[in-house]
Amino acid sequence: MAGIPIKIRGLEKRFAANRVLRGVDLDIPAGKVTVLMGANGAGKSTLVKIICGLYEADAGEVFLNDEPFAPNTPSAALQAGIVTVHQNINDGVVPDLDVASNLMLDWLANPKSAPLLNPRRIRKSAEEIAAKLDLNFDMNSMVSDLTLADRQLVAIARAMAHSPKMMILDEPTSSLSAAEAERLFRLVEKLRESGVAILYISHRMSDIRRVADRIVSMRDGTIVGKYETAPLDYEGAVNDMLGHTMTDVNITVQAPGEKVLELTDVKLKPESQPINLTAHRNEVIAITGLVGVGKTQLSEVLFGQMAAAGGKVQLNGKPYAPNSARDAINQGVFLCAKDRGTNGVVQDFDINRNITLPFLSSLSSFGFVRRNAEYKITNAAIDKLGIVCQGANDEIGTLSGGNQQKVMVGRWLSHECDVLILDEPFQGVDIAARRDIGTKLRETAKDRATIVLVAELDEALEIADRILVMAEFTIVGEHKNEHVDVDLILEQVSGAAAAKDQQKQKEGAAR
Amino acid sequence: MSETRVNTKTMSLTDYAIRYGFVALLVGLVVYFSIAAEGFASPYSAVFIFQSVAITGILALGVTATLVVDGFDLSIGAVATSALMLSAYVMVVLEQSALVAVVACLLMGALVGLINGFLIVQMRVPDLLATLGMMFLLIGLQRIPTEGRSIATGMSLPDGSTAQGSFSPEFLALGRHRFDFFIDNLIPVSVVFLIVIAIGIWLFLEYTRYGRVMYAIGSNQRAASLAGVPVKKYKIIAYMISGVLASMGGILLAARLGRGDIASGNNLLLDSVAAALIGFAVLGAAKPNAFGTAIGALFVGILLQGLTMMNAPYYTQDFVKGGVLVVALMFTFALSNRR
Amino acid sequence: MKLTRRMFAKMLAGVSLAASSFVGLAHAADMPAPFDNPGDVKIALVRYLSTGDFFQAYLSGVERQSEALGVDLRVLDSRQDAALQADMVDQAIALGVDGIIVQHGLTESMQEAVQRAVDAGIKVVAFDVNVENPAVPQIEQSDRDLARLALEQAIADNGESWKAGYVYVPGIAPLDRRNETWVEFKERYPGIDEKAQFGTLDNPIANSNANQARSVLSANPDITVMFAPYDEFAKGVKIAVDEAGMTDQVSIYSADVSTSDIAAMREPNSAWKATAATNPAVVGEVSVRALAMMLAGEDPGASVVVPPTLITQKDLLEKDIKNMEELSEKLPQFAHAPVAVPDWMPLP
Repeated sequence: MAGIPIKIRGLEKRFAANRVLRGVDLDIPAGKVTVLMGANGAGKSTLVKIICGLYEADAGEVFLNDEPFAPNTPSAALQAGIVTVHQNINDGVVPDLDVASNLMLDWLANPKSAPLLNPRRIRKSAEEIAAKLDLNFDMNSMVSDLTLADRQLVAIARAMAHSPKMMILDEPTSSLSAAEAERLFRLVEKLRESGVAILYISHRMSDIRRVADRIVSMRDGTIVGKYETAPLDYEGAVNDMLGHTMTDVNITVQAPGEKVLELTDVKLKPESQPINLTAHRNEVIAITGLVGVGKTQLSEVLFGQMAAAGGKVQLNGKPYAPNSARDAINQGVFLCAKDRGTNGVVQDFDINRNITLPFLSSLSSFGFVRRNAEYKITNAAIDKLGIVCQGANDEIGTLSGGNQQKVMVGRWLSHECDVLILDEPFQGVDIAARRDIGTKLRETAKDRATIVLVAELDEALEIADRILVMAEFTIVGEHKNEHVDVDLILEQVSGAAAAKDQQKQKEGAAR
Repeated sequence: MSETRVNTKTMSLTDYAIRYGFVALLVGLVVYFSIAAEGFASPYSAVFIFQSVAITGILALGVTATLVVDGFDLSIGAVATSALMLSAYVMVVLEQSALVAVVACLLMGALVGLINGFLIVQMRVPDLLATLGMMFLLIGLQRIPTEGRSIATGMSLPDGSTAQGSFSPEFLALGRHRFDFFIDNLIPVSVVFLIVIAIGIWLFLEYTRYGRVMYAIGSNQRAASLAGVPVKKYKIIAYMISGVLASMGGILLAARLGRGDIASGNNLLLDSVAAALIGFAVLGAAKPNAFGTAIGALFVGILLQGLTMMNAPYYTQDFVKGGVLVVALMFTFALSNRR
Repeated sequence: MKLTRRMFAKMLAGVSLAASSFVGLAHAADMPAPFDNPGDVKIALVRYLSTGDFFQAYLSGVERQSEALGVDLRVLDSRQDAALQADMVDQAIALGVDGIIVQHGLTESMQEAVQRAVDAGIKVVAFDVNVENPAVPQIEQSDRDLARLALEQAIADNGESWKAGYVYVPGIAPLDRRNETWVEFKERYPGIDEKAQFGTLDNPIANSNANQARSVLSANPDITVMFAPYDEFAKGVKIAVDEAGMTDQVSIYSADVSTSDIAAMREPNSAWKATAATNPAVVGEVSVRALAMMLAGEDPGASVVVPPTLITQKDLLEKDIKNMEELSEKLPQFAHAPVAVPDWMPLP
């Protein structure tokens, strides 16, 4: 059953002024795992949503077995044989029903099904579905009692009952442990053998190495690289996806000042490798790595949002283990969180109130906020970062994304601190604002240690004195930002070094 | 783009309507009733309007505090009537002083708020459900000590004896004393309470950092938390403010009625929630705010006073309240949709 | 005239009380079947309304009379759930009771359930709910008489022409019946000028009605009589009259009574002049007695009316009555009603 069930030609999609897909051409062959790589915003999920009937394309066509195919609802796509397993596992199962009912959910939801339930028949059909995939579930147990991995297998098994032509897996391992992921991979292999075309979306290099037959890289709404012949060029694919081009910002690396923050054998997960890291005043460190390699977890440990699984942190030579954001701020560690819409901006507030929110206690007397003091700070921040606005009382929602981000950065620059962490500070920011923010961060960096977490290598090169590379929840490389060996960084980002280690271990075991 | 430009003028007119429409409506109503209902335009009538909304107004200010942190308190009506029963119980059955009764009620309100907050913040019970549960709990609890009877001096107790205590004159003065204000014996204590509490809550929400932080929690809890705000603490405080204000309402109710009446307080709850929601529309705030809540309560009070004076039957009152609320919500959401 | 009538009533009550207690004593030992073995007689009280002083007192009357008869009483309380109340009748049938008292409820929901009970051979009496069944006697506190007594007192105190405020919420059966009397009185005495009608059942009822009464009084400062034929209404009107400083001018006449109502009427210079009331405990006793008569094969009549008593401020002050217990002690016609009392009936 070879062939190319899905062909995509010239697919385009725009949201308002934003061209998300700019003419995508892609074939997805049967019996192979096609891995789709791309940074956030590259257009992966839009592409998937068009195929599975959630969005309508503006231009271009999708062919299913050489027939034009434009599903207008997810269930139409499902009927046509295209099955999607979403990143959010619980979207695919009903936790309060038992396994048998979950496996038979589509039958239950079908208006043509018999109105009376025959529990024994349902169970039997469900067991048949599970048996096809060699899955062994207790049909009577509640899905809510299963592990995440088992729930995912249930969701996939249920999808398989449709004998699909194509299956889309959207970051299926993002909440699974290594052992659980391995079970999933075995299932994926089984599907591949049965001739299903599989589109596998992931950021995890280890997953990709494990299952990929071919890799397609996406960037800015187009396909920028295809790798189809073994051995696959993983670094090339990452390079395509990040689209690295030498940046034109020149950094003069500053001499580091005194040591401020020191991490010793800190573990982000019980099973991950320890992290050792030292940050100094007058130093900007960029930590780069793909999405989901532990950058955000590292910031959460340092900002009191989660406890480390091991190791110790010292701030100014004293033990540092904040238990809340408030605690961290009081000890002089600030975090400008990623996803400003959910984690930073208070939509109902104006610029002034957004900037001063963390510092109100020092700006008030007897609980009453001192207007003069807070406007002084806000106006200074507006000037310093060049925030384009009418005044300090503009509602934050009236500003552009770049200016909103400047407000967030301006907030954390408005008071002195020992350590400033910025998680994806250039997210959804145009190039001009990105340069402004970067310049301002470097200008003000003298008295503190600055740690910037970025997925894009360009951004790291633009801002850092020192670049650390993270993969698999640990730091795998360190580079001074002078005459950087970009290829080496990319190799580390894509986890080539780690993979080689694994390979060695496997060989050792085989022997 | 050019289209919006052309529309700028009409838009600003809409803006104007949204900002001052409700206040204009209020003024219009006052003028209309002054002409249509004899005796409406007098200082006594004005004071009475305040008095009739004092209790719901105070409760509404408490709800406003919980609305600000994106919560909701369904238990305020029951807290108020529980305070009504508790104050009567303390004075009539336990024969304690007015001071003890007031303190007991305020403590009860604070405790209920604390438990509400604990359920919501620590036990992660959704706010509507937690306070709904608390509402039923209190409606039942207030009946237990007297086996479902109202409390008045001379009532017989479950053990067969009769209650000998009585409402102390100091306590009754909370409901009946009037301060001189140009005219002798004009302004009742409850109105003074309403005004003082309204100003206090307004200052608290608009000008203190605590209020500012509460608004931040209401708008984006996660962002507030990452800005170092102890979100849980503030949420609990909001429910405690709500509980304490509701118990104050109950105290004033007890002082006015002069006995401990069994009541669910559901009408108090609905009226005060309506006032707080109407407040969203005042001055185009589109968010819970103390000034709006006070105006909202007054708005309802003026309407009901005017209609009653014109002999409108009782069922028109709910209809009118509902109408005002729907119009106010339209104002609010028309505004927030434009954002 | 007032005096003589009251004296007459008192004498009558005294005589009937003496007679009935004598009868009770004489025949308690040999009651007709099935009460020759009263422990085997099971009766059920199926309630719709239960919270509040009135219903508490009613229940205590039912309990007292049941105890005096020695029968086994089951109380089923639906707490204002009409469907549940109907189910509870079926429950009582299943329990194998001999008789059922239906206390309040909705005609629509109770009619069929009561018919099922009657079909099952169970005797049923109904209090304050019309179950539209000829086999079921109605126990009534006469709302028309209540209103009549209060209004007669108003005429006696204020003459035949005055400006009135009237508190009324239509759609509540007892209030509707009281309203009929009010309409009659207005026809009979054209001098009565109804300036305003208001009223609400928003709770706390007294507080809501106080607000309305304040508005009415400021719109109609010439009102001299307030007819508020429900004590919660009267309480609200009294608060408004006090707050408006019109206690000397306005007199309030009402129906129903409770300990706190007595306290309010007794307040110095209180505007609340009189109320007409039926003792809910007595209504409870009468309900049980009527049922007992049916069980013994006697006919209590299609409707059993419990006569009301007029309670004036003057009575309360002169006799120093401070609560319901003292009211029963010092106004004997309030404590007992000579209704449904066959010779053999033991009284509590």
